[in-house]
Amino acid sequence: MAESAKKGAEDEGGEFADFMADISQEIAQRVESLDAAAAPRKTPEPPRKPTPTPRDSGLILEWENLADRMIEDMR
Amino acid sequence: MSVVNYGTREITCKIVYYGPGRSGKTTNLQHIYSQLPEERKGKMVSLATETDRTLFFDFLPLDLGTISGFATRFQLYTVPGQVYYAATRKLVLQGVDGVVFVADSQKRQLAENIESLQDLHANLADEGFDPRTIPLVMQYNKRDLPADEISSIEELDEVLNFRGVPHFAGTAISGGGVFETLRSIASMVLSRLSAPAAKDA
Repeated sequence: MAESAKKGAEDEGGEFADFMADISQEIAQRVESLDAAAAPRKTPEPPRKPTPTPRDSGLILEWENLADRMIEDMR
Repeated sequence: MSVVNYGTREITCKIVYYGPGRSGKTTNLQHIYSQLPEERKGKMVSLATETDRTLFFDFLPLDLGTISGFATRFQLYTVPGQVYYAATRKLVLQGVDGVVFVADSQKRQLAENIESLQDLHANLADEGFDPRTIPLVMQYNKRDLPADEISSIEELDEVLNFRGVPHFAGTAISGGGVFETLRSIASMVLSRLSAPAAKDA
């Protein structure tokens, strides 16, 4: 893009053309670097790990025992 | 401040030519204007007194067209060099992106050069700019005058260019050094261009 900007400016003649050629190239390079800095990063997302289930979460694991106790109490 | 405006796809930079009266600031702009191709020639606004001195300021909008998808404009201003137009000089410096200091190389004008440079620094500071870091280039004009009437480049550099910024010998009346000076200050200003998301001071 910077080279095409310079070539386009060179189509004009004289001192102004030389100035335009240099400045066009400089602006093109500057805009490219700013664009690159502004672009969102495209790093791949890390694979999601499944949420670990706690082995001992209390009530659920003890459910059978609890039910047994309730049945026992009802007797 | 110069900013790449992604919304309007515009780059606009303001450059001010500063220096003592009759140092050649307006002549610089006139030469640039004379070199513009017809299709790019806008209006150069020049407000002069009856004695042909710049009363208010010169303004030359330099439309560089679309570069890399951005409409690019340089706005070139001069200030009136005469000491009694202090308020105008301060006004023109508002929002400046870069300064060209046009010094008169004549030995008898050395004190005026120094006074104008001090005035520039004071006005920049008043406008919230750091005179030590703002893009600045020096042009030692009137190098075509007889050698015994002008200071050497080294002498001028010693007295005026304590920042060690780029300097150029100028014969603005015939165009010498005019575009070299403009290219240098434009380059310095462009190197500070920032995107809106990453503004600097």
